[in-house]
This record gives sequence, C-alpha cells and structure tokens, in this order.
Amino acid sequence: MSDLTTQTPAPTAAELVDWLRDRVAAQTGRPAEEIATDVPLNDYGLDSVYVFGLCAEIEDRYGIEVEPTVMWDNTSLAPLAEALLPLIAAR
Amino acid sequence: MTPASPTDTAGTSPTGTERAGTEAAGNAPVGSVPVGAFPADGHRPDVGAARVGAVGGGRTGATAGDGPTAVLPSGHAAVDRLEELFGDAADPANPVGRAAVLRADDRADMLAAGEDLLTGFGLGAHFVPEDLGGRLARLDDLIRVMRAVYRRDPCLGLGHGAGSFMAAVNVWTAGSAAQRQRLARRLLTGGRAACAYHELDHGNDFTRAGLTALPGPDGRLRLDGRKEVVANLRRAETMVLFARTDPAHGSRSHSQLLLDTADLPATAVRHLDRFPTVGMRGVQLGGIEFTDCPVPDDSVVGRPGQGVETALRSFQLTRIALPGMTIGLLDTALRTAVRGARGRTLYGGPAADLPLSRSILTETFADLLLADTFTTVAARAAHTAPAQAGVYASAVKAFVPTVLIGAVQRLSELLGSQFYLRAGEQPLFQKLLRDVQPSAFGHASRISCQSALLPQLPLTARRGWRSATADPLPADTFRPGRPLPPLSFADLTVSAAGRDPLARSLVLGTEAAAPDDPLAESGRAWCARLAALAADASALPPTLIGPDAPPYAFGLTARWTGVLAASACLNTWWSRNGEAVDPAVTLALLHRLGTHLDHHRDPLPPHLAEPLHTELLRRFDAGLTFDLDRRPTGA
Repeated sequence: MSDLTTQTPAPTAAELVDWLRDRVAAQTGRPAEEIATDVPLNDYGLDSVYVFGLCAEIEDRYGIEVEPTVMWDNTSLAPLAEALLPLIAAR
Repeated sequence: MTPASPTDTAGTSPTGTERAGTEAAGNAPVGSVPVGAFPADGHRPDVGAARVGAVGGGRTGATAGDGPTAVLPSGHAAVDRLEELFGDAADPANPVGRAAVLRADDRADMLAAGEDLLTGFGLGAHFVPEDLGGRLARLDDLIRVMRAVYRRDPCLGLGHGAGSFMAAVNVWTAGSAAQRQRLARRLLTGGRAACAYHELDHGNDFTRAGLTALPGPDGRLRLDGRKEVVANLRRAETMVLFARTDPAHGSRSHSQLLLDTADLPATAVRHLDRFPTVGMRGVQLGGIEFTDCPVPDDSVVGRPGQGVETALRSFQLTRIALPGMTIGLLDTALRTAVRGARGRTLYGGPAADLPLSRSILTETFADLLLADTFTTVAARAAHTAPAQAGVYASAVKAFVPTVLIGAVQRLSELLGSQFYLRAGEQPLFQKLLRDVQPSAFGHASRISCQSALLPQLPLTARRGWRSATADPLPADTFRPGRPLPPLSFADLTVSAAGRDPLARSLVLGTEAAAPDDPLAESGRAWCARLAALAADASALPPTLIGPDAPPYAFGLTARWTGVLAASACLNTWWSRNGEAVDPAVTLALLHRLGTHLDHHRDPLPPHLAEPLHTELLRRFDAGLTFDLDRRPTGA
C-alpha cells in the first residue's frame, strides 16, 4: 500500500495503464496480462464498490482526488488512464 | 474542504469562541427547571401552560386556509402549530387522537382525519426547497416537523410524509428546472410522490434493479417490469421511478424517471395487490407492473445513466432524516411506558418506582437523547460539510434505528403482558412496537449502510485521520439554535474523499478541553479508540471492502460509527455556549453509547441516572417532548 507522502512523478500513459492493470489484477486475483485495456473492468469482477478501493490507491500514489464517478464514466483501463492524466498533470 | 463558516471564529478549534449571551438572551428560564441537569426550557413563552390542544372534534380541514401561499413559520414554530392541530391524543373524541389512530391501525387504513390535517397544515411544503416556493430550508427543521407527526402516528409520518420526501430529494438533486417546478407544484398543492425503487428480488441492492426503460421503435422510452412494496404507489399522483436505461453492467446504467400517473396509458400499467405488513399497517404499500409502457420525453431526471450517482447523493439526506423522524416514535413509546408503569401497582407500589423500572426508563431516555444528538449533528453537518454527509448519513442510518428498536423492545419488558394485549391498558404500545420494526431495513438496512461505509474506511484512515491539518466541522454544527448555511444539493458527493471533519472535531475538541473539563477524560478515551481504529483500518486490504467482506471488516465500520456518535455528543457539550448544562447528561449518553458498542454491560451509575430520571418525570408531568427540543406535546 502506497504511503500518503509518496511523491510519484507524473507517469506516461503507458506507465499509468501498467500500474492500473497491476492494481486491478491484485484486487481481482487475475494475472495482469489477462486484463485488456478496452474491456470494462466490471467484466473482471471490479464492482462499483471496489472502485472505491482503486480510487483510494490512485489518490495515495499520485496525490490527486478521484471521485468514483470518474471510473464509472471510464469503464476500461485506456479511457480511465486518459481521464486521469490531466488530473495528475494539474496537481 | 470543509466550508468555512463566518461564525467559526476559532477556525481550527471546535470549541470556538464562546458567545455566551447571544443565544441565552432568548432563553429566559420559565417555570420550575431542575438546577443543572438541562438548560432552561427556552425559545417559548408558554412553558408550564397546560398541554397543547385539548381541542375536540371538528378540526379536520379547518386549517385549509393555511395554503401553500400563506407565510407560515418553520422549525420550532411549525412544530408548535402542528402540535396544536393534533390536540390532546388522550381525548377519546379527538379525530386524530390515540383511539382514532388505533382504530385506523386495526383496519390497516391510513388515518384519514390525520391526512386531512397534514394536508391542511401544508406538510408537503416542508419537503420543497424555499427557492421553489416551499419551506425546506434546514434538514434539522424538517426532522423536527416530521418527528411531531411520528409522535402521533408513525403510519402518517411514513405514509403521508416521508415517502414523498424520499422521492423528491432525487429531483431536487438532479432534476431540470422544469422537473423541479413540476414536482414542487405537486407537493405544494397537497399531492403525493411515490419513491419507486424497490424490487423484491434485489432488496437494497438497487444497482441490480431490473425494471427497464429502454427506447422503443419510435425512440421513446418504454417501461417493462415491476416495482414492489412501495408506499403510496397506487394513490400518488407522481412517482420517481428507478429504472435500468442501459443493459450494460456498471454504475451508469440506471436513471430516475419523474412520471405523473395520469400521463401513462392505463392499458400498460397494472397495479399489484397491497402488501400487508406486521407494522406500519396503514401505509399503503403497493406494487406496479409495466408492460411496454411509453413515457413522456422529458421524464428522465438528470443525464441518462446518472441514476446510481443521484441516488447515492440525494439519499444521504433521507438516511439522516428518517431515523431523526423515528425518534418521535420512541418519544411516544417512552411516554406510554411511563404512563403505564406509574399507573400500575406491583409489589405494593407503582411499577415505575421499582429500581429496574427506573433504570429502563432512564436509560431509554438517555438512548433517545443519544440518537437525537447524533442525528441532529449529522443533519446540521449536511449543511456545513455536504461533501462528507454521505459518511454521516450511513453512520446514522446504521446506528440510530438499532438503538430505537432496542429501546422500544426494552420498554415492552417494563410493561409486561400489557404491551402484548391489543386492548391492554396502554393499547398504543403494541402498535409502536410493530411500527418501529421497519426502521431496521426500510430505505437502507444497517448492513447496507455499513457496506456503504466500508469502501470509504481505508482512505479515511490513511488520509483523514492521520492529517494534522484537516479541518473540523464548524462549531455551529453542534449548536442546534444557531443558523446554518443553505442546504446545497449540488455539493453532495458520492465519496467523502477520505475526509472526516466530525472525527477531527473530536481530536481538536479534546486537545482544546480545559484540564478540569469533566468530559476531557472521555474525549481522550474516544481519541484513543479512534487511533486504534485508524491503525486497524489502515491495514484493511482493498479486496476486503465489498459486500463479501468478513464480519471483522463490518465491525470496523461499527467502531467508526461509535467514534462519530461520541464526537457528536462531546462537541455538543464543548460547543454549549456557556449554558448551565450538567455534564452528567453527556456522560450518560456516552455511557449508553458504550453499552450499544458492547464496551460494557453496566447500568447507568446512580450519579448519572438520577438527574436524568428527575428530568424524565418532570417532562412527562409538564407535557414536554423527551428530545433535545423539549417542546410541549399533546401526544
């Protein structure tokens, strides 16, 4: 679990997707390579509740605030990373 | 960010700057007030006067002149007006008295005279925001008004009031201007709205709701499916219907639809039989089945797919308000029990004088005040920290109904066989014991509220509770007599973002407490519990925050709820503005909180129980409510 004080530098889109994929893999207990970037995370069992957990991890790592609704609107990894990058850049 | 309050002069200190005198000015002690236990009965010149009302029959409809356009009072004044209209519950000739309430319950009907009275009073206006022409300015005031209804008949409260409010908050939060005006007109003219979410197959899990509203060949949305066990579904002129508007999984697949029943083709709508119930028997719980039913174009509330978000945001207000209203039920149950125990001779004296009876009555009184303190702070926090209201709403709805149900149950032990007999000496009691039950699961169950808290717990533990610079709640949150910022539906959020200003108020209040403050030690003990919870919750892995989490994880949310309730009690004490309140009351509330959280099973010690017992009997004799307000009541 990341520490609150971690100062993670702004990632590239690919780095962010990779990191998100690892988090989803850890939460859902699947191998990371099974998680495609264009398939809704819900299909991997990441329910609306677990989105809160992922939000918290994103917030801890990148020092931004993420409303769970961002993940409801961007249901798979690629669009989610796209939505998060500007938030991280603006922190 | 906790909104700054212009009056929170101390900024980071919840104790703020004491403004003794500003409030006390209107609080001239009247009548015989027990020294020390409670502040003087304030805010009203008529304390000590006979019970309100005592009006006989012929009241029904007599208040129709108070239409929605009339300038009517809000808050305490509205409660007093309502009490006056309801009159003396003990008068057998009163068409809205106890006997009439029981007769309606026996018939499983709503009390028609009570509905007329509330329509004449303009109850619907209390559910409509002021900018739409209504009288909803403050959530704590709405609770006050509805609590007066629950004191008389919980069926009237739920079946005539709360259901419309539950439907309305969706529209106030996400509806278009036209939709808001349409619903406002409906409620201001005495109409009803049904809140049609529930499907028996899915319970509180409304993200699985199956009723669909999908486009037909002509592009118009068409309804298919059913809703079940929804109050007033058959007789409400308007309904807010929760429907699946996208077959995809996820949290963007549902929407609310605001529908006027008259706009739906009768051939596509079938009403199901009423669902009979154990308690709240008069409430008209209906079901409805739609078959290829077209709806008008402007029916969707907010953006299509926004429904889960709208529900999670808007129901924060009702999760606070409903338990707050239900405190009125316990108020009447306690009054009924005192009456019964005093009138009954056992072992050569009044049953009320037996030590165990005194203990049950006194502890119930403390439970009522505990429930009211927590609910009131949460209701006021919805104004001062709307972005965090979701956590406090779930905490209140998880904790308070359990306390209320347990309290009514305990009172039934006191009454013995008399509570069980439908025609016993206190026949109302058996109804209240039945009517309190649905508060355990109605709207949102304890478990579903704990499920809502759990995902927010780890971030709150790692961010909110560890921050040394986080804002507390503005001190006025803890001062029921003080004004509040307007209620902002737009500022309600799905997640509290790891912030917990109520817990922060506990920490800062404890730090600021004087060494000789009688509650300082309690404050330190609760801060230690918060620290222990923070350590345990920080270690909670993100895989253990869903509905399939183990009991241990749910237990953490109960500990969180306890810390929040304790902070509400302690900060209400620390923010008391120099009023002469006996710390025994706050200590008694915290003692009872410890009982509810299984910290101990001790009865209230005599030095805490005695002042409360004296106050309980004083209020009973004076015809005052047992909640924080201490208003005259004829219930």
